[in-house]
Amino acid sequence: MNVQVVYCNHQTADLNLRERLAFPSADHVVRAYDELQVRFPKSEYVVISTCNRVELYTAQEDPADKPSHADLVQFFSDFHQVPKTEFFNDFLERQGPEAVRHLFKVASSIDSMVLGETQIVSQIKSAYELSTETSANGPLTHALFQRALAVSGRVRTETKLSEGRVSIASVAVGDFGKSIFDRFDDKTVLILGAGEMASETLTYLKDEGVKRIIVCNRSFERAQKLASEYSGEAREWNRLQESLSVADVIVSTTGAERPILSVDEFRLIRKKTGPRPIFILDLGAPRDVESGVSKIDDGIFLYNIDDLEATCEKNRKKRASAIAKANSIIEEETEKFMHEIYHKATGPIIKQLREHWHEISRQELEILFRKLPELDERQRESVEKTIQRVVNKLLHPPLETLRDEARTGPPTGMLKTLKQLFQIKE
Amino acid sequence: MQLQNVTILCFFASYTGALILELTQFLRQSRVLLWSSIALTAAGLFAQTIYLVERSRQTELPPLLASTQDWVLVSAWLAVAFYLGIKAWDRSLSMGVFVLPLALLLVASSRYVSDQPNPRVAISYQWSMVHASFWVFGIFGVLLALVISVMYLLQHNRLKHKKAELPALHLLSLERLNRLNWWLIVTSVPLLTLGMITGLWMSYLSAGSEQPVSLINVAFVANALIWIAMTFLFGWLLVAKNATGRLVAWRTVLACLFLLVTLLTIKFLSADSIHARDLV
Repeated sequence: MNVQVVYCNHQTADLNLRERLAFPSADHVVRAYDELQVRFPKSEYVVISTCNRVELYTAQEDPADKPSHADLVQFFSDFHQVPKTEFFNDFLERQGPEAVRHLFKVASSIDSMVLGETQIVSQIKSAYELSTETSANGPLTHALFQRALAVSGRVRTETKLSEGRVSIASVAVGDFGKSIFDRFDDKTVLILGAGEMASETLTYLKDEGVKRIIVCNRSFERAQKLASEYSGEAREWNRLQESLSVADVIVSTTGAERPILSVDEFRLIRKKTGPRPIFILDLGAPRDVESGVSKIDDGIFLYNIDDLEATCEKNRKKRASAIAKANSIIEEETEKFMHEIYHKATGPIIKQLREHWHEISRQELEILFRKLPELDERQRESVEKTIQRVVNKLLHPPLETLRDEARTGPPTGMLKTLKQLFQIKE
Repeated sequence: MQLQNVTILCFFASYTGALILELTQFLRQSRVLLWSSIALTAAGLFAQTIYLVERSRQTELPPLLASTQDWVLVSAWLAVAFYLGIKAWDRSLSMGVFVLPLALLLVASSRYVSDQPNPRVAISYQWSMVHASFWVFGIFGVLLALVISVMYLLQHNRLKHKKAELPALHLLSLERLNRLNWWLIVTSVPLLTLGMITGLWMSYLSAGSEQPVSLINVAFVANALIWIAMTFLFGWLLVAKNATGRLVAWRTVLACLFLLVTLLTIKFLSADSIHARDLV
C-alpha cells in the first residue's frame, strides 16, 4: 500500500507558476482524471486545486504500481503545456507518512497562507466528492480523505487556530484595505464571481459595514442568489465596465482561465472616474486582473494572493503555540492512520493463513476421528480444542512479528515471505 | 528645584530620550519602552511649559509676544502637546517618530534666534497678540500638514509596494490622512493670510510712532513669499479635480519645507527686522 502526493503551493512556487498548473474548473479536473487513469490505471487519485495550491494525491495497493515523481511531472507538463524544466524543482513529492502528514496539515490549514482558514475544508471536501463522482478515488484515498477531514475538525476544536483573522479577505482588508480607506460604509464593493470565496469575502465586508454591494457574474442566477444573501445588487456580466467605474473596492474571485481586467480596459475606466483610490483584491488563480493595472495611476492598489504572504507570515509568528499544538495532534493522527493502513494490509494474509491452518487441522481431525470411532463427544471436543490451541500457538509468533513490523512501516517483505512460505495466493 | 533653573536643555534632552525610545520600537516592541517614551515626552512638555511661563514672567509679556525664541518654542510646545493628545486618543498610532524630530528641530533652532523681547509690542498690544496668534497657529497647521503628508507618502509607498505594516509604524489610512492634510492647509492658509493682514495693519499703525516698520526688508519679502506659496497650494487644492492624494502630499511637503527653511533662515541670519529688537 502506498500514498503519494506531488504538489506546489504558496511556499514552494509563486502565483505565476501556480496559475499555469492550476485546474480552474471541475471540467479540467475531470479531464485530468481521465488522462491519469489512462496513464496509471492501478492508482487512485484526488486533485486539490485552489488559489494557494495544486496537489495530486495518488494511492496504490501495490507500491510497485506507483508512478514516479518524474511520471507525474510529465503528466502536469503535458496536461498544462508547461515545460518540465520550468517547474520540476518547485513541484515536490511526498510519500507514505509524509504524504499523509502533508494532507492532514493542509486540511487543518497549518499549511494555508492564512492560518486557521476554514475554506480549505470545503475545498478538500469538494475535491474528494468530485473524485468519488468520477470514480477516480478508491478505498485508500477514501480512508485518507475521510480521516483528513476528521483531523481538521479535531485540530480546530482543540487548538486556537481558528481564532482571529482566518480568511484571505479578512487579512487583505484588515492589513491593506483599512490602510487605504477609513471606513467602508460609504464605499461601493464590486464582487466578480459568485463562489464560496466571494461569499466569504462579502461576509467579512458586511461586518466592516459595507452597504452597497454589486455582484457581477457570468451566471446571472448565481449572482442574484449571492446578491440576495447580502442585500446587494446583481448585475449581468455585460454591465461589467459600468460596474467597475462605480466601485471603490473590487474583489475578483472568478475561475477564469485568462485575466478579465486588462490594462487597456482599466485605463479607459480610470479616464472616466479620475484617480480616486480603488482597492482591488484579485483572489483568482489564474489571476483575474493584469498586474500592470496597478501602474496606471497612484490611486490603484492591486493585491493578489501572493501579496498577502508577508502579512500572513506575521500572523503565523504570533500563533506559534497554537501551531505547535496542532502539529502534535497531526503527528499523533498520522501515526495512527499509518498503523491502521499497514495493519489493514496484513489483514487478508493473516485471515488466509489462519483459515489455511485451521482447514488442515480440521481435515486431520476428521481422519483421526474416523480411525478412533470409540471416542465419545467429550473426548472429541477435548482433542479439537487441543489441536486448535496448538495451531494458534504455532501461528502466534509469525503473526506477532508481522504486527510488529506493521507498526513501523509497510510489512511488504514479511508479507511476501509469508506468502511464499505458506503458499498463500490472493 | 528653582523654576528658573529649567533650561532649554532640560526639555531638549527629554524629547531626545523620548525619540530614542520611540525608535527602539522598530527593533523590539515593548510596552515598557513605549510608556517610558510617553512619560519622557510629558516630562519634557512640563519642563517646557515651566520655561515658557518663567520667561513670560520675566519679560512681562505672553510667550507669543516675548521674543522670536519664545515664539519658536511655543510652536514646538504646540506640536508636542498635539502629539500627546493623539497618543491619549490612540496609543497604537506612530506619531512620535514624526512629531518629536520636528519639535527637536524647533527647540534646537530656538537657541540660535533672538531671545530679546519685541520692542514693537507697545504700538498695539492687542493687535500684536492677534497677529502673532494667527501666524503661530497658521504655521503650526502647516507644520502638521508636513507631518501628515510625510505619513501619507510612507503609507502610500507601503501600500503600492504591497509591504506588510511594521508593528512600530502604525499609520492612519490614506483616506483620513488625505482629508486631514486638506483641512490643515485649508484652515492654515486663511490664518496665515489673516496674520499677513494684521501685520500690514500694524505696520500702518506704526507709521506715526517712534519705531515705524518699513515693509521694504528681507523679513517681509520672505514672509510674503511663504504666504504666496501657501496660497497657491490652497487655491490648487480647492480647484484641482483630479489631484491624487500623493500629489497633494508631495506639494504640501515642498510648500512646508519652503516655509520651514525660509523662516529658520531669516531667523538664523537675524534678518528679521520686523520682529527683532536689533533693526537692520
